[in-house]
Formats: sequence, structure tokens, C-alpha cells
Amino acid sequence: MNKETSLLKILKEFETITSKGYREIASFLPKDRVPFGFFCPYVPEELIHAAGALPFRLMGTAIKMSHAQAHLPTNCCHLVKSSLESLLQGELDFLKGIIFSHSCDAMQGLADIWALQKRIPLQFNLMIASRLNSEPSRIYLRSEIERFKNFLESNVGKITPQDLKASIRLFNRIREKVAEIYARRPKWYREISGSDFARIIRAGYLMDRRRYLELLDEFLNVLPETPEGTEDSVPVYLAGNMTHDAPYFSYIEEAGAVIVQDDLCSGTRFLRLMVPEDIDPMEGLTNRYFTSFVCPNKHQGAHAHAETLLGEVQKSGAKGVIFLLYKYCESHFFDYPDLKQALESKGIPTLLLEVEDPSFSVGQLKTRIQAFIEMLSPI
Amino acid sequence: MRNTFSPSPLRGEGEKVWQKKIMTETANETNFYRKINSTSAYRRLMIAYYFMMKHPNWFGKKVAWITSGGPVEPLYAMGVLPFYPENYGAMCGAFRMSVSLCEAAEHKGYSHDLCSYALTDIGSSFTGKGPLGRLPKPDFLVCCNNICGTVIKWYEVQARAFNVPVFFFDTPFIYDEIEDHTLKYVQDQMKEYISFLEKQLKHPFSEKRFQKVCSRSFEAVNLWKEILEMARRHPAPLAAFDAFIHMAPVVTLRGTPWAVRYYKKLKKEMEQRVRQGVGAFAHEEIRLVWDNIPIWYDIRNLSKLLSSQGAVLVADTYTSAWALDQLDLAQPLMNGLAGAYATIHLNRGFEYRVQKMASLIQKYDAHGFIMHSNRSCKPYSLGQYDLKQEVTRLTGKPGLIIEADHTDSRSYAPEEVEKQIRIFLDIIKTK
Repeated sequence: MNKETSLLKILKEFETITSKGYREIASFLPKDRVPFGFFCPYVPEELIHAAGALPFRLMGTAIKMSHAQAHLPTNCCHLVKSSLESLLQGELDFLKGIIFSHSCDAMQGLADIWALQKRIPLQFNLMIASRLNSEPSRIYLRSEIERFKNFLESNVGKITPQDLKASIRLFNRIREKVAEIYARRPKWYREISGSDFARIIRAGYLMDRRRYLELLDEFLNVLPETPEGTEDSVPVYLAGNMTHDAPYFSYIEEAGAVIVQDDLCSGTRFLRLMVPEDIDPMEGLTNRYFTSFVCPNKHQGAHAHAETLLGEVQKSGAKGVIFLLYKYCESHFFDYPDLKQALESKGIPTLLLEVEDPSFSVGQLKTRIQAFIEMLSPI
Repeated sequence: MRNTFSPSPLRGEGEKVWQKKIMTETANETNFYRKINSTSAYRRLMIAYYFMMKHPNWFGKKVAWITSGGPVEPLYAMGVLPFYPENYGAMCGAFRMSVSLCEAAEHKGYSHDLCSYALTDIGSSFTGKGPLGRLPKPDFLVCCNNICGTVIKWYEVQARAFNVPVFFFDTPFIYDEIEDHTLKYVQDQMKEYISFLEKQLKHPFSEKRFQKVCSRSFEAVNLWKEILEMARRHPAPLAAFDAFIHMAPVVTLRGTPWAVRYYKKLKKEMEQRVRQGVGAFAHEEIRLVWDNIPIWYDIRNLSKLLSSQGAVLVADTYTSAWALDQLDLAQPLMNGLAGAYATIHLNRGFEYRVQKMASLIQKYDAHGFIMHSNRSCKPYSLGQYDLKQEVTRLTGKPGLIIEADHTDSRSYAPEEVEKQIRIFLDIIKTK
């Protein structure tokens, strides 16, 4: 099999897993691991995996709403609404458990509503500290992660230190490979289209992680040594929520841009969660949440978000920043005006796209992206 | 027909004009509203508080902005004036000034979907407008997330805008029971909080003064609890609409002798009403419980609508949130206080909220309940649809959900709400 055929085969496998609805995905999941749903990078996937379960991330789907409105007010984000809808329609009945990490007020309320439905056998509310810049919060978080470990051991399987170390190694290797793909993307964007890239990232939260690592290895091996792309695309940076949906990436790249880096919850923020392998694993899982800025829901100082974003954007060489934000996401929308101001004061233009359902107002979205990219393009 | 209730403290009209107005209005009512006489003391108290807040330098005071559920006792113990942006937001709402302030914040790029208390505060900071005009710059901020996660972001915005330090007091949400390590965490933060204050104010914390402040705080809180409990009587001597107004001192001034003095006065007046068997309204046929923050800009109309049907709000989940129910005085003071702040109503899960609503309905002998689905308060509003079902299942009492926003009237359809309330009251009457 030549490299091109291998590349297509690998991309096909990513597409297969990411194009399915939740109910259909169940048959593609490994049989030896019970799936546990989760939403947020503050859930230590390594622990779920070490217990013998499969961490399965719920990232929102374009599901038709018919039940969720009976439980939720309208001003909840798409992730909250579509996840509850999926639950109520029975799409998630294959899950053995669900893990909520305390992120925002909407998720806090969703956890209560979710438990009332009694559709999934197990639920654990992991109470991540909202303040991640002090010694008392580090001590508290360590205890909370221990509580989560106990829950997994009682309901899934014993977590030995060896298992946990192996799991940490596996997730670290995945992060390294994903980081490599991120690093190569700006030049290899002809070989790795935006939509393929989004699928690669999304698949990593749904499938067996060992198989995922194998696929990432193979993928990097079959990429041509030199990229075909010419440098005629406008480099842009994508900031926002967990929006690794192929269409968004396509719209941006079809408009003549290439996403050189992102700050998405499903993207590079996951890469900031590397765990040192030479220290106590529980200590490592705790400390990583204090060493870098992961989510605007958490307090790490009033300037943490702007400083992180500005540094990353400048490093990426992007000519502009697109904010792709879930409508009703308070954390991002509170930060947005100051972030916009900070970027624009450095001469970096921004565009705000407020999105609900991924299929909503496509035409308008494309027009706005097109106009923004044209504005950034050299005359 | 018209009813009235306690006015906002800073009305432009003079006291005499105001009292004359009340007398004229109440005389025309078919359901007579009894004005609370202590209201004039309340107004004087709140005018004095806001006067100090507006001119802290005249009193040699530093000002800290603090969230409504934050531990205020250490601030008073350190001689700091606490300012409550949420309380101010409520005032802007009652004065119907919120919409223009929200729009000012939106003009600067803040989303219309954000909490209207926050938008009001941010808009007021930008424009210098509001019932008090331009507010003095805070010296520092104290943010406690026991009421919501919104305040984290809101206070970060203001910390950047004013370039002042913020102390963030983290109280993890409690779905079931509080864990030992959670309690330890909030207690440890109390120590950090004190160190933060000592650093900002450059003088040591006095345990003796703190104890005195706490003792006043607990006394005010207990008086407030006793006043609210009096509404269990038939007829209720005060309505929840009264409580929405008269709660201001327990929020802003708990820990001071003024709050204690005021609530003693109010309690005395309510006791007299109980002795005389008179209620807040002459006619009390239907007793209701309210859930969520009031609709500040429409309190007057809602009160009028309800009373015209003989309905009185006798209890609510909001004003009782300042009752510090879980205060454990067997613990060292600082630890007990930390535990009480970590376990307030809004920081508790669904089951606690169900029990609290059911218990209020039972204790206050209510015929039903109204839930305000508040666009600006997700912690209060998410889960209300399920809460309504569960409370009705437990108590057999019907509930109504109305949609609004606590200060932004752009998200409110008064005629629709009025229609819903009328139908709801008819249902209760036919039962």
C-alpha cells in the first residue's frame, strides 16, 4: 500500500468514528472497556482509562431538539442542550457512567437534571476547584481527585500505580503526537484539510486510545516529507469552546485561510495537560491544572486568559483571530471584550462568530468568514 | 386599585410628599396594603449607608466590592466599607435604570446574554450613571462563588477595569453533603482571606473586633429569620415583597449595630401586627411561596396584581438565603462562619432545593408557589421545571413558572405573565 492510499485509509477510519451518531458509535467501541461519558478536560481521563474503562467525551451533536426544552431554559449553550437531548432520546444508553466536572453554572444545573432522569447507571460529580492558583485549592483538588479514584475503583476496577503510570504515558504520547500534527498543519494543510484535522482531533475523544495512538503514528509516518502547499493561505488563530466540528474548519479554510493554531477546549488546551512521568502520578494529575491556563471558568488571576491567548497568538504567526463561541457561554463572553481589545491593540484583527447548533445559519457564517479573510489577505 | 410597599431608599420625593402619596394610594385600594412604619427608618439607614459609600474618604474608609453571599464580617472587623454591586443592580432595576446601563455595557462588546446585574454594574462603571451617579473606585474586590459562577468572571472584569486586586473565595458546589476536605478548603481560605486583608489594609486583624462583628451579624441574621418566620401567621404581617426591600440591611450591613437596631424595630412592629391579628394586606385568601430573585422593575405591578386577587406572597427562597442556616457555633468562629457560607441555599443541589421549597410551603401553609425563571440567574433557574414537578408531587400544591429577568425588562412580557398568574390563581381558587 502506498503512502497516499494509507493516508486515505487512516483518514477514513477517523471519519467513520466521527460521522456516527452516539447510538451508532457504540458498536465501534472496544468491547473490553465500559464507556464513561465526560464533558471537560478537567476530568482526568487517565484515571478512567487506568480503571479499565473508556473515557468517551460528549462534544455536542446536531440533534433535533424535542425533549430538552421540558427541562432547560432556552439560554443554555448547545453543548448542554444537545447532550441532554441525546440522553433523553436514549442515544447515550450505552454509557455505563457519566462524569461531570464542575465547570459553569449551566453544567452545574445539568448535572442535577441528568441525575433525575436515571438513564445511566452511574454518575459522579467531580468538584474541581474554581480557583486554581493557591495552595489550599491544590490540596483540595488532590483530595477530590482521590475521591474520584475511589469511585472508579468501587465501580469499575482497581487502579494500581503501574496502571496509572501506563495510562499517563499513553495520554502523554497522544498529546505529543497531536502536538506534532498541530505543528505540521500550517505547511501540510493541503494534505491535512481543516475538516480532516477536526475529525482527527474529535476521534481522539471517542475511540479506543491505544488504537488512536497507533493511527496518529501511522498518520505522521505516511505524511509526505515535504508539503505540497504553497504559502498563499491566510494564517488565522481559532479561539473558543469545544468546537472541533469539521464544517467550521471547512468554512474557514474554503475562504482562503489556514488555522495555524487554536485555543479550543478540544484542541490545544488538551495539549497543556501533559503530566510529568517522574513524579507521583496523583500529584502529577493534580498539579497540571495549576501550571497552565486551561479554561476561563477557572480563576487563575484576572489576566491569565489574555496573557495566555496573546502569547499563543503572537507565537503562531496568525494574522487574525476568529472567536468561535457557543451562544450563552458566559465565561467566554465575559472575557471576550478585553481579549478583543488586547489583540487589536497589538494590531491583530478579530472576528466573533456566535454559534448554537453546528448547522445553524451556515450561509451567514460563511459570508462573515469570507469578509474577514478577505480583509486579512494581501491585496 | 393599587397597593404599595416599601419604597426604595433614595427616592427624589420628600418624606412628607411620599407619606401623603401612600395614604392617598392605600385609601383607594380594594385590598388595603398596610405600610410598614419602620420603612422610614429603613430609608434613613440605607441613605446613610450609600452616603458613606459615595464618600468613603470623608470617613477615612477603604471600600471593597463584595458579592452578596461573600463573608462580610472580616471586612467590617477590619474597618472596610463593603459595597454590593448586586444590591446596587437591584436598585438600578427598581429605578428602571438597568436597561440603559446594560446597553452601555453591550455597546462595549459585552453580550446581551450575560447576567443583567453584571451588565448593569459594568455599564454603570463605564458611564458613571445610575441612582448614585459615579461610584468611588474600589480599593479591592472580594468574590465568593457560593451564589454563582458568573461572579468569577464579573469580578475579573472589574479587577482589570479598576486595576485592583481581587480575593477569590472558592466554595465548591454541594450536590449532596459537604465533604470533609471541602469544609477544610473553605476554612483554609478564610485564613488566606484574613492575610489578604491585612496585606491590603496594612494593619493586623483583631480577633476581638471580629468576634464583636460576628456577634452583631448573627444577631441581625437571627432577627431577620424571626421576622420572616412571622409570616407563618394568618394573616401574614409582612409579604415577601416587603422582605425583598427590607432585606437590604441584612445583606449590606450585617455585622454593624445599625442592622441590629433596625431589625429590632421592624420585629417589634411585626410582633404588634401579629398581636393585633393584622396582615400586610387586608384581604388574604391565597398564600403563595416565591422562588428566585424578584423582578425588581415590576415588583409594584406584581404585588398589585396578586393582591387584587386576594393573593399574598408569604415566603420566598431568596430573602431566607441570608439566614446562614448551617452556622455551627460549636466550632471556632472562623471555621463555623466558613462552613455557613459554603452551604447557603444557592450553593446546594436539587434535593436540598426541593426540601426547602416543600418545607416553606408546609410551614407557611401556602396554597401554591410561583417560580421566576430568571434569564440572568442560571443557578437558580436551571432545574426549576423538574423542581416544580417534584415539589407539587411532595406537597400536592400547584406551581407556576413565569419567565423574566431580575433587572433587564427587555426580557419580560408583563401581559403574558399577568395572564398566566390570573389563570394560576383561578386554578387555586377552584381547588
